[in-house]
Amino acid sequence: MKCFVFRNQTVEPFFNEKGVVFSCYDDISVIPKQADVFIWFYQVPPGESAVVAKEVDTYIEKFKMVLSRVEQDKQIAVFTLYPLANTNIVSGNTSLLLAIENFNRWVAEISKEHKNVRIVDFSEFTRHYPKEELVNWKFYFISQTLLSPKLAKDFKHWWQRKECELALKRKKCLVLDLDNTLWGGVLGEEGVEGIKIGGDYPGKAFAYWQQALMNLKNTGVMLAVCSKNNEQDVFEVWGKNPYLILRKDDFVAWRINWQDKARNIQELAAELNIGLDSMVFLDDNPTERELIKQLLPMVEVPEFPAKPYQLMDFFHRLVEDYFRVYSVTNEDLKKTEQYKANAQRAAELTKFSDFDDYLRSLDIKIDVLPLDLFNLPRVAQMTQKTNQFNLTTHRYTENDIQQMANDGALIYAISVSDKFGDNGITGEIILRPKDKESMIIDTLLLSCRILGKGIEFAFLDVILNLVAAKGIKLIEASYVKTAKNVHVADFFDCAGFVLSDATDNEKKYYLELTQQRTVKDCYSITIK
Amino acid sequence: MNERILRIMHEVFEDETIDFSCSQGNCEKWDSLHHLNLISELEDEFDVEFEPEEIAEMTTFTKVKEMLLSKC
Repeated sequence: MKCFVFRNQTVEPFFNEKGVVFSCYDDISVIPKQADVFIWFYQVPPGESAVVAKEVDTYIEKFKMVLSRVEQDKQIAVFTLYPLANTNIVSGNTSLLLAIENFNRWVAEISKEHKNVRIVDFSEFTRHYPKEELVNWKFYFISQTLLSPKLAKDFKHWWQRKECELALKRKKCLVLDLDNTLWGGVLGEEGVEGIKIGGDYPGKAFAYWQQALMNLKNTGVMLAVCSKNNEQDVFEVWGKNPYLILRKDDFVAWRINWQDKARNIQELAAELNIGLDSMVFLDDNPTERELIKQLLPMVEVPEFPAKPYQLMDFFHRLVEDYFRVYSVTNEDLKKTEQYKANAQRAAELTKFSDFDDYLRSLDIKIDVLPLDLFNLPRVAQMTQKTNQFNLTTHRYTENDIQQMANDGALIYAISVSDKFGDNGITGEIILRPKDKESMIIDTLLLSCRILGKGIEFAFLDVILNLVAAKGIKLIEASYVKTAKNVHVADFFDCAGFVLSDATDNEKKYYLELTQQRTVKDCYSITIK
Repeated sequence: MNERILRIMHEVFEDETIDFSCSQGNCEKWDSLHHLNLISELEDEFDVEFEPEEIAEMTTFTKVKEMLLSKC
């Protein structure tokens, strides 16, 4: 069983059938141990306001009861309440309104205190529909579905996006055209002062739009530019136009030239070390959009609004469709700086002849951190997001990780910094016990931005020494091929493991831990 | 019309083998919840509204079709 839903109305039509189990109506007595996640989806029942208010008042106590009995490492998504079918005859009687507000505010507080409680704002869905569409009394009377089953498709679509948000999945990079996309007018024709940004409409709309994109960037989405322009002209605008909000430093990378945009976007993906399916491309020109849709179908290419005043609605949809996330980790916040520091590091590389010499000059510090409540969200998130340096590509939720730890797995993350900046938590390893003296490397992954410095080997060596000290004699490992991780196919071979079995899609290895492994002296490593 | 009804039934019951002989009696998936989905989809597809009494009677492919014919 994957998911268990507490409910007081019929909600089965709104969820996909597989893996979802429902409580009896308003029944909190059963809390199945097999469920991985829980959903609390109570709806305000129909009826006279004052009576319903008393009923709603009991939900807090009921939810508390559930919360106290659900294991703390399992996620509970709680829907806020929204009055669907209540007629208030005496408008001065606000008891129901207050009861609903009271519950919603209380849930918001609880979701701050309890890491496993996540609030789902139900009004985000309901506000798109008038009352008559939300409730279909005919279906209510024949099957107790208060929310109209006609909305089931829309609801499933919305809920799918919410689940991605709750699991912290989102696109990584927004690639932007410039002329008539980031500002009004064409730079090459209207000049540095002539483009429309700031001041009155339409410049005002573009200023709001840029500020909105800046806010998006500040939550960890990378912004990049792909524009047919003279690079020098654009640098001049970034430097001189006083009304611009997004400037050179706000973009993680750019391709400002006259070559085709598909090639540019591929180059950007390579430079940033991210997959094309992590990118969203915006361009006012339908021909350019079509080109990308045809040549790079993995890139998301939404339609672009025709009028500048439509940009704010467009931004709202853009966030809802691609970039919304339940919470933001520290690593997300630092992303643009980190990728930039990487570029600087690459420049330094050219100065040294001996690679180790170069590594030493970087002052690389590696902290090895055992799993704890603070790094748990990031550890789970990395299994979801890391594609390239990922030996097995197992995707895990926070609950899965916690469960494995409870079952005796050793889980370590690494936090890497160097003289150019702090990369934060950028790698992890999960070792599951096999028997008393052997363990299996279930997961080994590193974020691409710290690759190319031998950190992967140092990390593995440190961990192997650590488990050897715990009495482990044998390690098993495997490489599972995906579309994106081909360049780590030989990682375990390079690390000295013995190949025991190989098929087209998987290679199995083992390693006897007979001697201490020597870790290169190029890094300063701390085991916390 | 036969084809349109069957297509909806295939979708709702997630079973491509369903044919004109389908009824609540012989189709395992046709429980009260799937009945609800079926009615909701039929109402949208044919732009009609069924009364609760009618909904209760539409328990076989043939009865569904008769009910639709009386409305369209």
